[in-house]
Amino acid sequence: MASNSSLEQAIDKILEKTEKKILLDLENANSAAKQTLEDALPKIEQEYDQIISNGKKEADKIEKQITGSSDLEARNKQLTLVEESIDKVFTKALDEIANADRSGDYTNLIKSFMDESTKTLGTTEVLVFTNNKDKDIVQSLISQYPGAEVSSETIECLGGVKVKSKDGAMTFDNTIDAKIERLKPLIRKDIATQFGVVN
Amino acid sequence: MSSEGGVQYSKIAEIKGPLVIVDDVSNAAFDELVEIETGEGERRLGKVLEVGNGKAIVQVFEGTTGLSISGTNAKFVGKVMEMPVSREVLGRVFDGLGRPKDGLPDPIADKFIDINGEPMNPEQRQYPKDFIQTGISVIDGMITLVRGQKLPIFSGSGMSHNLVAAQIARQASVVGTQDDFAVVFAAIGVQYSEAEYFRRSLEESGALKRSVLFLNTADDPAIERIITPRVALTVAEYLAFELGMHVLVILTDMTNYAEALREISAAREEVPGRKGYPGYLYTDLSTIYERAGKLNGRKGSVTQVPILSMPSDDITHPIPDLTGYITEGQVVLGRDLFRQGVYPPVNILMSLSRLMKDGIGEGSTRADHGEVSNQVYDAYSRAQEVRALAGIVGKAGLTEIDLKYMDVGDVFEKEFLSQATDENRTIEETLGILWRIISKLPKNEITKIKDKYVDQYYKEQ
Amino acid sequence: MAAEGRIVWVSGPAVKADGMADAKMYETVTVGNSKLVGEVIRLTGDVAFIQVYESTSGLKPGEPVIGTGNPLSVLLGPGIIGQLYDGIQRPLKELSKASGSFIGRGITTTPVDMEKNYHFVPKVNVGDEVTAGSIIGTVQETDLIEHSIMVPPDHQGGKITNIVGEGDYNLDTEIATTENSGNTFSIKMYHKWPVRKPRPFLKRYDPTVPLLTGQRVIDTFFPIAKGGTGSIPGAFGTGKTVTLHQIAKWADSQVVVYIGCGERGNEMTEVLVEFPELKDPRTGKPLMDRTVLVANTSNMPVAAREASIYTGVTIAEYYRDMGKDVVLVADSTSRWAEALREMSGRLEEMPAEEGYPSYLASRLAEFYERAGRVRASGSPDRDGSVTLVGAVSPSGGDFTEPVTTHTMRFIKTFWALDAKLAYSRHYPSINWMNSYSGYLADIAKWWGENINEDWLSLRSEAYGVLQREDTLKEIVRLLGPEALPDEEKLILEVARMVKIGLLQQNSFDDVDTYCSPEKQYKLLKLLVEFYKRGQKALKEGASLADIRALSIVGSMLKARMDIKDEEVAKLDQLDVDMQEQFKSITGVKVQN
Repeated sequence: MASNSSLEQAIDKILEKTEKKILLDLENANSAAKQTLEDALPKIEQEYDQIISNGKKEADKIEKQITGSSDLEARNKQLTLVEESIDKVFTKALDEIANADRSGDYTNLIKSFMDESTKTLGTTEVLVFTNNKDKDIVQSLISQYPGAEVSSETIECLGGVKVKSKDGAMTFDNTIDAKIERLKPLIRKDIATQFGVVN
Repeated sequence: MSSEGGVQYSKIAEIKGPLVIVDDVSNAAFDELVEIETGEGERRLGKVLEVGNGKAIVQVFEGTTGLSISGTNAKFVGKVMEMPVSREVLGRVFDGLGRPKDGLPDPIADKFIDINGEPMNPEQRQYPKDFIQTGISVIDGMITLVRGQKLPIFSGSGMSHNLVAAQIARQASVVGTQDDFAVVFAAIGVQYSEAEYFRRSLEESGALKRSVLFLNTADDPAIERIITPRVALTVAEYLAFELGMHVLVILTDMTNYAEALREISAAREEVPGRKGYPGYLYTDLSTIYERAGKLNGRKGSVTQVPILSMPSDDITHPIPDLTGYITEGQVVLGRDLFRQGVYPPVNILMSLSRLMKDGIGEGSTRADHGEVSNQVYDAYSRAQEVRALAGIVGKAGLTEIDLKYMDVGDVFEKEFLSQATDENRTIEETLGILWRIISKLPKNEITKIKDKYVDQYYKEQ
Repeated sequence: MAAEGRIVWVSGPAVKADGMADAKMYETVTVGNSKLVGEVIRLTGDVAFIQVYESTSGLKPGEPVIGTGNPLSVLLGPGIIGQLYDGIQRPLKELSKASGSFIGRGITTTPVDMEKNYHFVPKVNVGDEVTAGSIIGTVQETDLIEHSIMVPPDHQGGKITNIVGEGDYNLDTEIATTENSGNTFSIKMYHKWPVRKPRPFLKRYDPTVPLLTGQRVIDTFFPIAKGGTGSIPGAFGTGKTVTLHQIAKWADSQVVVYIGCGERGNEMTEVLVEFPELKDPRTGKPLMDRTVLVANTSNMPVAAREASIYTGVTIAEYYRDMGKDVVLVADSTSRWAEALREMSGRLEEMPAEEGYPSYLASRLAEFYERAGRVRASGSPDRDGSVTLVGAVSPSGGDFTEPVTTHTMRFIKTFWALDAKLAYSRHYPSINWMNSYSGYLADIAKWWGENINEDWLSLRSEAYGVLQREDTLKEIVRLLGPEALPDEEKLILEVARMVKIGLLQQNSFDDVDTYCSPEKQYKLLKLLVEFYKRGQKALKEGASLADIRALSIVGSMLKARMDIKDEEVAKLDQLDVDMQEQFKSITGVKVQN
């Protein structure tokens, strides 16, 4: 079962897998989050152990009655539990990211998001959407992109930008949410590995 | 192409049949996975069939019902379709696109594998020759299945193909070590009850935890059926070649698969081959069936038993026809036998296992196996001729030897072919019955068996 | 100037690229960032239409296309024998070193080992005049193949100005130079040749020598000649592949090229496993030592399937030019035709029957025209042959479909496989009523001179029995066998014996799998003698039941399996026994 240090590894891994710039920034900004998580983890672990052992007991019982389906059920219960734990870790981490400090390197991060987005769309004639927190940073950068405008509409996201070509034909979602969504399967695997449930 | 994807395009030029044609696309790859978002925010999956000159033709797996020109967005994901795989997929149930259908979370992936697979290098294949005892006499004795073979069941509507396939899956798992055996079942447009029969059958034999189920039932989107066998085989290859398991893959019903393919081809206005099926049906089917086999230096194997219902029981229909050209034999179910209540109703004369010769004989089954089965084929074929003749000239017009052949035909069907769905016969029992049949003939009718085996096993009656 | 363009459109194996004004028709190009191999098959303005020999999954418009300046070619030199190639002559073993058990993309290899040394023996001297095709030396490629090093067909020839002495050299060594009108030319042990261009030769002969396959129904009833063409059409399950494997195993040629064109992967594996174990009946050496395999299985990219046929036939012609008899087996030409159809569809050409392109017939004709027995170019004088045998997989077993009907126009031997025969396990399931051979008259002389003068008349008599049986069967079907007089029942009985004892052949039986011409002749003779003696016995009062009860019947039916090629004298003994037994039944009648 994971110890405190393995939790740190879990977090490290999550961050490693995220794009380099986010990682750099988040690692600095999120030490507080780590602390929160570290406090939360023993509890998660305890619960986890408890449910697993309960499940095992029950499974053992069923196994005597019906061989076959029981280990499957026990396994499925375990899968559900792992998933719950993963969700908890995720929620905490995302929470931290959402509340991260918006100063210093963060501007560079948003700039790289903008660069990437306009390059992918092949034009700077774009409309940029972002959330309330990042709006000022985006606004400060916008003059570097000829023809780009910041939309008055804001969007719900952790951070980053969503860029739409002016003719409306193309959209590129470069929010932190979208990036994490793309990396989620890998991050899940890392967390699960930390919990020792994936070989 | 992984890093560059993710652009969402909203200029939809045309929607027809299962296809969405997207305009002003500047960054899309052939075969790329596409997420279609409807006006209501519903997400569907698709893939690029053709791209160029600013246009991409996208095939939508879950159908285009409810899509509109203005409200639809297409996001090009930047990768081909992949299936997450790990040991944990065993015991799981997925939908036809490989997404969990059992209320459990996504599998935590050990790997993400392109569902199209790559062709096995023929130089790296290991020639299949390990006998699989299915416990079904007609298969073990006459149409022997070996590990790594692709042996389809050609059936017709309403016949007992599912019973046969389920019996193979249950009984084949008993032999050898349980641990390295797995069943991958893909329901392709079949009724829910058929899929459920299969699931229950696996559950009752305790094999469910060693099985992976992919279910696209009759009420699920038709175009999804293009993907179902591919995700199933991707998992099968992983279990076999990465984890060293012997995997039995059952695909039912491949006719529904081919029909989905025809639908797409028609929507693309391609020049059709026979009966409206696309000219590349053979090549396309081969990219499914050829994903069976064994590989040098790897422990596991993928054995395929695809099931297909022959439209109007016609074996020359393009689907069974092209399947037969790719698979290593076929088990053909006969309507006449089925009507007579024979189970399994296998028409042995039209059935064949190409790999049988290498899977039987000394060291695997028994030295006389090949010759005695040849002789029974010969005798049963004679019996059919005599029966036809008797229908015209009556029994009186038959010679004494003809009558003996008729007897052989009856005994074959009653004692050898017929068997209960839970009856698991050993190969010794099966061969014993074959010799009982042959022993109904006088010795000089035996032209295909060496004298030494005749001396050993023939018992004059 | 190599063309450099950009992809503008991708659909499956078909790609369009612009900026290709410098590209030539049938030039090979590398496609995309992963450098896939492709071939230009149409040029419109500066847009090239390219068929790609590897999977195009993930390919994007905008990626580069670069011309090589060369047409699709094969490398011809020592090291080809024993190889398993894909459709564009990439050794599958080398591919597996790069990408493991599955075939990866964009892998470049050389078709043969360029570093391997071969022992070269020069056959010409400095000062000798050579022309294109002339042999300048030999190397021993395998135990079975003495490989002639020839002046390439497109070479200027001239006077030998330098040639290396006998010794070990690798393929890249310059082994000779020639001089012609002041220009110097270099010759190595290999050269390249474009696959779509037939290799030149001096003149063509009529095929008069049978290609012996050891398969009785072929050699005795429907023979093919060296340099001839043959086709095996058959529905699935009729034993097409087994028959082709039998020809590849036992044909009396020096080289066999086996093309698995759009067929099963395991079939190639089977050849690969089996051929090194099997011994050539004439030399006792492993069959793999004379075999080249080209495999583009059904699930491998479809465009390379189209190329595989040409790759194979060019290799066959190369060995022909050394003065060897080569058999090329293509399984299956229908899959090749389907590849043509698929590319034609993507080119949006106007389709002919069943969607096949209108040039299907001319492509088939061009292919079969590459068969022949020829006098090779250059010196010394030598004759070689390429025999082409193509499988056809008619959809639904229907011989009226386009590939079968067009093929029939260009081949001279037709082995029609029959599902009904296969269902009753009569193998090879070659239907004796629907098959034909256009070489019978030409090769009868060979049988007369080498085996026995009465071969053709015996063959006709046996075939006559089968034809009579075919008509009688109609009557039996309506009235039952008892309605026939004994003379006609005898025909049915003899036909049954011909079928079981001669036409059927068990390819999995160690003895029966190959049958020498001597044994074929003697089995045929025994059966015809049986018929004659049976007729005579009936006239002399014996009954058909008496004849059927003769113990010789069983011995004759099993003789094909019981008597080995080296024991054919035993068949003479059977003839003596038969005579005795017939005497006994007619004798009994006389006493009564």
